[in-house]
Amino acid sequence: MTMWRALLRMPWHLLLLAAILVTVGAMALYSASQGSWQPWAGRHIVRAAVGLAMVLVVAFVDINLIRRMSYAFLVLAVMVLAALMVVGSGTGVARWISIGGMNLQPSEPAKIAVILALARYFDSQPLDRFQSIITYLPALAMIALPFLLVLKQPDLGTALMLALGGLSIIFAAGLPWRYVIGSIVVVVASVPVLWSQLHAYQKARVMTFLNPEADILGAGYQITQSKIALGSGGFFGKGFLMGSQSQLNYLPEKQTDFVFTMIGEEFGFAGNLFILMVYLTICLFILRISYRVKSRFSRLTCIGIAMMLFFYMFVNVGMVTGLLPVVGAPLPLISYGGTAMLTVFLGLGIVASAIIHDRREQ
Amino acid sequence: MSKKGKKDLRRAISRRGLLLAGGQLALTGLLAGRLYQLQVAQSSRYKGLSDRNQFDMRVVSPRRGRLYDRNMRLLAGNAESFQLRVTPLFVDDLERTLASLLTIVDLTPEQITNVLDTAKKVPSFQDIVVRDDLSQRELARLAVRSALLSGVSFGRSLRRIYPQGILGCHVTGYVSPVTRNEIEADQTLRALPDLGTGKIGVEFTHEQRLRGVPGRERIEVNAKGQPIRVFQDVAASAGQDLRLSLDMGIQLHAADALRQGRLTPVKLGSSEVQKAIAENAELRAHIAVGDEMILRDEKKRLVPPESGAAVVIDVETGGIVSLVSAPMFDPNLFTGRLLTRDWQRLNNHPRTPLLNRAISGLYAPGSTFKMVVGLAALEAGVISQKTRFSCPGHMELGNAKFHCWRKDGHGAVNLVSALEQSCDVFFYEIALKTGIKKIKDMARRLGLGDSTGLDLHGEKSGIVPSHEWKLAHHGKVWTPGETVVAGIGQGYVLATPLQLAVMTARIANGRKAVTPRLLTNDMTSPDDFAPLDIAPAALDVVRQGMVKVMYGGLGTARTHKLADTLGGMAGKTGTVQVKRITKAQREEGIISNIDRPWAERDHALFVAYAPIKKPRYAIAVVVEHGGSGSAAAAPVARDIMAKTIKTLGVA
Repeated sequence: MTMWRALLRMPWHLLLLAAILVTVGAMALYSASQGSWQPWAGRHIVRAAVGLAMVLVVAFVDINLIRRMSYAFLVLAVMVLAALMVVGSGTGVARWISIGGMNLQPSEPAKIAVILALARYFDSQPLDRFQSIITYLPALAMIALPFLLVLKQPDLGTALMLALGGLSIIFAAGLPWRYVIGSIVVVVASVPVLWSQLHAYQKARVMTFLNPEADILGAGYQITQSKIALGSGGFFGKGFLMGSQSQLNYLPEKQTDFVFTMIGEEFGFAGNLFILMVYLTICLFILRISYRVKSRFSRLTCIGIAMMLFFYMFVNVGMVTGLLPVVGAPLPLISYGGTAMLTVFLGLGIVASAIIHDRREQ
Repeated sequence: MSKKGKKDLRRAISRRGLLLAGGQLALTGLLAGRLYQLQVAQSSRYKGLSDRNQFDMRVVSPRRGRLYDRNMRLLAGNAESFQLRVTPLFVDDLERTLASLLTIVDLTPEQITNVLDTAKKVPSFQDIVVRDDLSQRELARLAVRSALLSGVSFGRSLRRIYPQGILGCHVTGYVSPVTRNEIEADQTLRALPDLGTGKIGVEFTHEQRLRGVPGRERIEVNAKGQPIRVFQDVAASAGQDLRLSLDMGIQLHAADALRQGRLTPVKLGSSEVQKAIAENAELRAHIAVGDEMILRDEKKRLVPPESGAAVVIDVETGGIVSLVSAPMFDPNLFTGRLLTRDWQRLNNHPRTPLLNRAISGLYAPGSTFKMVVGLAALEAGVISQKTRFSCPGHMELGNAKFHCWRKDGHGAVNLVSALEQSCDVFFYEIALKTGIKKIKDMARRLGLGDSTGLDLHGEKSGIVPSHEWKLAHHGKVWTPGETVVAGIGQGYVLATPLQLAVMTARIANGRKAVTPRLLTNDMTSPDDFAPLDIAPAALDVVRQGMVKVMYGGLGTARTHKLADTLGGMAGKTGTVQVKRITKAQREEGIISNIDRPWAERDHALFVAYAPIKKPRYAIAVVVEHGGSGSAAAAPVARDIMAKTIKTLGVA
């Protein structure tokens, strides 16, 4: 494969859409610091540039090499998560790892590791086994291990997203419908049991989600303020740098988890809808790529990455609009925070590699 | 594998992918619908909430409960202090404003970055505390210049004060600003950064009762963020006031008696004293932590006050009347901004003023342990009141030779006269006959070897050794020689001064296992104590011996009797070797305490109860490296007991 052909097959439309989101993010962060490149907007752009470069590098890695390494990635991810548990146990929060002055959250790239490992697993299964439930049990274990480690950190939001990303691959691989429906029934039926197992503070958090006004100083405060900021933005918003809720600091975490709210206040329904559409377009483009690539591994990987990106967006927007509980989830490419952005760019790089190095299934 | 099968699977995956795409569309539609609902349909309502007036919540710190002594003298209260605040909304350039404030008041770089960080996080109309606890001079300077700095204001807040200064330090403990660890453990503290929390002492143990419940204020602000009105949603409820059984009059007397000991105070001003301070690092350390007591010993040397502990306990109720640990410190240092300098001085002080010796200091009980051994022997039936042993000045066991403190021996002694003269050989003999197991059993019943459960943090349990204990901690088998040494309260045996006071109180009480208590709020009725379960006849013999210590012709503390008008006192001396005496030294003649370096002198102990007929108070005194129990500790205990009975009576 020549360099020229590779560049031709590069999914430039995806990178363009990602660049649009990064630009929106930089504008929002510029506004979040009252019209300044410091401390967030400038670094956001630099990180995005590094991320784009990474996409190009990953794109040139043969997808078959990635396929061969995929189990190793999962083992590595699980080991790092387990090591964090040991190292971080003294301080109580075991979420971060520090490399050369940069703080990384290993649970984010772990999502990709799970996707790759599952794709490879289903890729290597003989056809006649796809109807048997036994085939899906090792796949569940591949999700469960990192899921439990992240849950223990404790980071419920990331753990659930990781599990959902993995489960969507199991679904895509063709889990028979009777099991799909069966597990949904089991999950719904176990809600009351789980509820009785929850700690008091966890119950309190759920109650806060159902009735945010009750906890006006904690998580409920964030949601109430977020809804006021979004709602007061109206159809076209208050204008760039004019969001009073955000500028007066009513809105907490406006540079990270609540950046969507801040954009909503300044650019209104139109601005928010635009972001949703860009995200959705990226996800659908990746799903379309999954149709075009020939190998089963690439196909499942693309589906997994599309779902991962979608869940990022859905959980974050659902949270700030009060549809989902406050779990602490970033809006990648837009909100300030390197690890989620890096994870998304890594995903895009793998998708690019899948197209560029696509071959007939052996 | 059929080609068709592969194709089918590919189709299946594609079909599922299509379903997932459909799911994404539907969920995005849901989000869009929600946004439409918030931003278009209900927009006017939220615009109203945003434009009209806004509310900001503020948590109001509760007033912390006060601490009183038994006569309602204030031990810990709250005083108003002045805070310097900035309101970022009214400040043009926060960094410049802070820089100009730096020229007026003391500010550390951390305080400045802290303000800048906070300003980014909180609504800009909210006040941020720049400095707490402004001095009068700073207030005066600010009053003149702050008018030129917009957005700078003053506020009042409450600061913990300890009006008794150093006197109550080890009982009350202190309050200091909330630490990050405490916030991790208790998220409710995050909203109250100005609130102090108890770190040691009663302030720590009864934190929950003292803290109270925070209140909540709603501040109405307009669109520009300026405050309009303040509503009180929930009033803060003050913490509970607590009354301690301590008597500050006795506490003061006890502190003075313990610290002064046999020494003579000198005036600080004289040039000789100043010169000595300049030359002597230990004296300098004392002066540096604000202690102004310098004394002269028998050899005319200038020395710091004695260190040690004294505990007075009510024999009936278990109420702690006085609890002193020396050296002491000023808890007021901790309430505001603790200067690194003060912290280092307290920490580098050679005699560790922050250590509460009364509950955390472990000392070999020495001869004060002899009551325990005597009671165990009587209970085991290995001796009776009349059993006599002859003391030639030492006892031999195998190859080892155990010496009595009196080289020439005490002749034939029984339990009462052995206690009176503190004969070591008698107790070597009965300890061997009784065995360590029964001695341990008796010691535990008298309150040794386990924390007494006093409501102060950091209490040590001490050690009452046994076969199992030695195996577990040293991996070696217990030897008879160790039983002999334990018979005079040395070797492995360790106790806190509080435990020795409890032991004495239980011997004096005779019926109940008295347990120490500090709070009068929840003082148990004496009937609630567990029964002591020691034969009254045996206790009677031991108490006779303790009376003889004071009144017998050879009693070790006969020169320090408590006045008969106060009911007299019974006690027991204890002198604990800190450094082993070698055979060579013993032959050459032992160097007297006063000629040894301070840290090599014996610990002086004394335990006592009074009055003799109907005991009401028990006391334990430890003078660290004070010399002999009879000369250094007994007079201190006598003075404190006299003051206690004169102050509180015996009714």
